[in-house]
Amino acid sequence: MTLTIAKRELASLFFSPIAYVVLGAFAIGSSTFFLQSFEPGRPASMRSTFDAVVWLLVFLAPAISMRLISEELRSGTFERLMTSPVNDAQVVLGKWLGALVFFCVLLSPLAVHAFVLERVGSPELGPILTGLLGLVLVGALYLAIGVFASAWSQNQIIAFLLTVFIIAVPTFAAYYVAGERMPDPAVRRLVEYISVNQQYADFAKGLIDIRNFVYFLSGTALFLFLATTLVASRRWR
Amino acid sequence: MIVAEHLVKWYGPVLAVDDLCFEIPAGEVVGFLGPNGAGKSTSIRMLTGYLPPSAGRCTIDGHDILNESRAARQKIGYLPESTPLYTEMRVTEYLHFCGRLFGMKRGDRVARIDEVTDKCGLAHNKRRTIGQLSKGNRQRVGIAQALLHDPPVLILDEPTSGLDPQQTLAFRDLIAELRGQHTIMLSSHILPEIERTADRVIIIANGRIAAQGTPGELRDRASRGGAVVVEAKATPQQLTELLQAIPSVARVEPDRTKGSAGSWCRATVHAKDDSDLRGAIAEALAAKGYTVRELHLNAPTLERYFVEAVAKRKAVNTTP
Repeated sequence: MTLTIAKRELASLFFSPIAYVVLGAFAIGSSTFFLQSFEPGRPASMRSTFDAVVWLLVFLAPAISMRLISEELRSGTFERLMTSPVNDAQVVLGKWLGALVFFCVLLSPLAVHAFVLERVGSPELGPILTGLLGLVLVGALYLAIGVFASAWSQNQIIAFLLTVFIIAVPTFAAYYVAGERMPDPAVRRLVEYISVNQQYADFAKGLIDIRNFVYFLSGTALFLFLATTLVASRRWR
Repeated sequence: MIVAEHLVKWYGPVLAVDDLCFEIPAGEVVGFLGPNGAGKSTSIRMLTGYLPPSAGRCTIDGHDILNESRAARQKIGYLPESTPLYTEMRVTEYLHFCGRLFGMKRGDRVARIDEVTDKCGLAHNKRRTIGQLSKGNRQRVGIAQALLHDPPVLILDEPTSGLDPQQTLAFRDLIAELRGQHTIMLSSHILPEIERTADRVIIIANGRIAAQGTPGELRDRASRGGAVVVEAKATPQQLTELLQAIPSVARVEPDRTKGSAGSWCRATVHAKDDSDLRGAIAEALAAKGYTVRELHLNAPTLERYFVEAVAKRKAVNTTP
């Protein structure tokens, strides 16, 4: 059932113009970052590309997820979906999964960059693979936040802004407000811990740390749970 | 098959549905009638499990819609109001998707999709994208989707809105064809639709049942006290005097506008009670030797009864 919903979601993403805008923006953005560090004498690594690309996702992932539930609420198809024998978690998971597959397609230009790098130099494959894995985990978290935000409103713009806002809190707001100026090291560590970009940095370096996995997977699970609760709340609100 | 027990729905401080009770036995076609905003769609959303009732409960084929939700939902084919569809999908794609949601196997889906698209007159449009279809054809996709898993219960919210007269006729035939195989509940604010297809009509107004019965019963109830129109060769004064002499006549209204056009006079006669005056009027006129060229009971349509039922409800609600 989850897969049925995921499949339909994926197909319909490819029918929406926004998907192509996002695909195009990511291809151009990531290639620009890649070419900036693509010079003779520079190390054959994608670390700086990855570090830059993760910022791009703050805006592109919400653009993918904003329509997931909002659009169905607006058009009324949500009523048909929720009156068929599926449960709330299947709907939320299906939509998130469909968006995540699309997100993996979105990352495909990075594979092209890696291939180019491989042809002209001899990059280490390990950090490239962990970097990509890390991006998928970042995407999984952002899209889970996006599904949650999209269940709030039938307005896609609101869903988009709410997602960016929720992402911004741990990613930059906390960092800039409290980060380096904070004298208390415990607070500083906490702020660094909740920052997505800090958590991602290890993956870009080529490290696989169980703590990073725990961060991304628990964050994703938390927002998917909240989204399911929000969808279910229709029954008792 | 469908049982609603004391359904109540509050939207914040607004009472949308107030103590709705009814029971629809298997195989019956029931029309759910009411003006816009009467609580039809809200009631239907509670029956299909989309919205929870604030109080009361409903069961579909013995399954509680909230506690055994999936078993109950499996039994319902539902067409929501204004036929929401995924416009980017092709007709067959969409029907496959719906079939999968109801757990149908691929083989069953292929066979059933052929069947329902034929039944709903979509055979030529199967490969088209839903967004390109006309309103009428979209409505057909909505109905095909509701029929797809052969549910014992069909709940159609305003299935004929937006259809042209010919499509409406085709829809009526379709319901006639489905009669007996499914328990059908259809809502409408258009009376003739319900009048012709339903075994029983439930009229709701302001969230409560204003009247219910077979279309025939409702028409009988509505026709009581109906006015008789008579046209005879006489002056308005002669006619009024003669008719007023009949014991059960309450009031005679001669139609003065037509009096000048010759020696014919037309009048509307109201009875004191619910009796039918036609016989008495004919006898009285014949006894005096007047020539009659028209005599008919102004049979009220279900529409008029419906409007009266709603007006009565409103009056009850507004009296403190």
